[in-house]
Amino acid sequence: MQKFSFNRRLVIIIVCLIVSFALMTVSVAIRNKKSTPPLIQQFGNDIVGLTDRVVAIPANGLSGSVGAVSELLNTYQENQQLKQQVSELAQTKVRDQTLAKENKQLKQEIKLNESLTDYAAISAAVITRTPSSWQNQVIINKGSSAGVVKNMPVMSGSGLVGRVAEVNKTNSKVELITDNNDSANRFAVQITTKSGKTVNGVLSGYNNTTGQITMNNITTKAKIGKGDKVVTSGLGGVTPKGLYVGKVAKTSGDDYGLSTKLNINPATDLSDLNIVTVAVTKQ
Amino acid sequence: MYRLSKLRFGFPIILFLMLLLDGSISQNFSTHMFHYPTAMVSHLVVLWLVCGVLFEADANDFDMPIGRWAVVAGIVFDVYYTGIFGIYIFIFPLVVYITRLLVSYIRPNFLSGLLIYFIDITVLEALGYLAGRAVHLSSMSGSDFMVNTLGPTLAFNLAMFVLLFFPIRWVYNWLK
Repeated sequence: MQKFSFNRRLVIIIVCLIVSFALMTVSVAIRNKKSTPPLIQQFGNDIVGLTDRVVAIPANGLSGSVGAVSELLNTYQENQQLKQQVSELAQTKVRDQTLAKENKQLKQEIKLNESLTDYAAISAAVITRTPSSWQNQVIINKGSSAGVVKNMPVMSGSGLVGRVAEVNKTNSKVELITDNNDSANRFAVQITTKSGKTVNGVLSGYNNTTGQITMNNITTKAKIGKGDKVVTSGLGGVTPKGLYVGKVAKTSGDDYGLSTKLNINPATDLSDLNIVTVAVTKQ
Repeated sequence: MYRLSKLRFGFPIILFLMLLLDGSISQNFSTHMFHYPTAMVSHLVVLWLVCGVLFEADANDFDMPIGRWAVVAGIVFDVYYTGIFGIYIFIFPLVVYITRLLVSYIRPNFLSGLLIYFIDITVLEALGYLAGRAVHLSSMSGSDFMVNTLGPTLAFNLAMFVLLFFPIRWVYNWLK
């Protein structure tokens, strides 16, 4: 009798393991291939997402007011610095508007309706974050009903923070570029060097210890300097052109000495996200 | 009697509250908890489950379906938070099972509860890590995992246990 119950336990453990692996493999495959999760999963996610708002809104509000008090303490210093920047910004903004207008007219002239730089923005609030140490993922309160589609890039503040990994009706999951899994953070980017040359490449990962984005396999002869700006190149279709990623912090030879490796300082603080913007390209 | 007690509804309601609070805590304190390279992961839902087992053994006059609720919590966790189905749906009930096993050997009180919770969190994080490695969600090395994730997570969750043990016991006694 003892032996029987031991065997039965072993069988249960093995069956659980097999089922677990099967489920994991299937869900990873669905996540990588399909544009939306199965209907029942979407439905569940929407229900939980709605209930989560009841918990998240007071919690986020509380932390927002605590944050406001602590920010009040260094307001004066910040104000001084910002005043300087604002006067410069006004100039840039006016010029930007003029250029945008001119650009639009020129596009009409040559009958070019949509180019790679055109995108619409959907702003969304972050409801919650996955409590996990390797899945750097946040859940935002806009889904397919607001026009969010899988793989769209997501920005916060001034820079790119991630891409949409899963879309439900009323909420969606955003995988941050700090996530190092196999299917994450492969954005096509380009760098314009000081001498005016354009270097194309693909982001390849995130370095946990330095907090920098890495970019491998650059074989160009153009000299990339510290502080050069990295923006998305729009190649590959889903991402519009010209989303700011960050600044080059360090260039070095890669492990085999054949190509160049870049470390990029991300433009925004990736661990503190409250409001994000989903960039929608017209496809 | 479980059938007649307030716990019948109170237990799952607070279980889901804890599950959602985990996400809210991670979101609101993300600058402190996910300060690279270290990561502290909040597991309040496990705290509620483990405390359920501890106080159930304490009371020894009724059985609660904690294992079944652990499966439900695991499903919600997998579907809503990670999007990868099949990890926590098995780990949460396993943690409940381990706790029940340990409780049958050690009489639960505050200190032994702390020890049991230590073991539970270690098992939970280690299995979660192994599953993550198996499906290529994480590429962290084992030693990095121990130093950067397991250590801070244990520290955070044991602190939570110390802070919340007596309030949770009060809630259980009130619901009973």
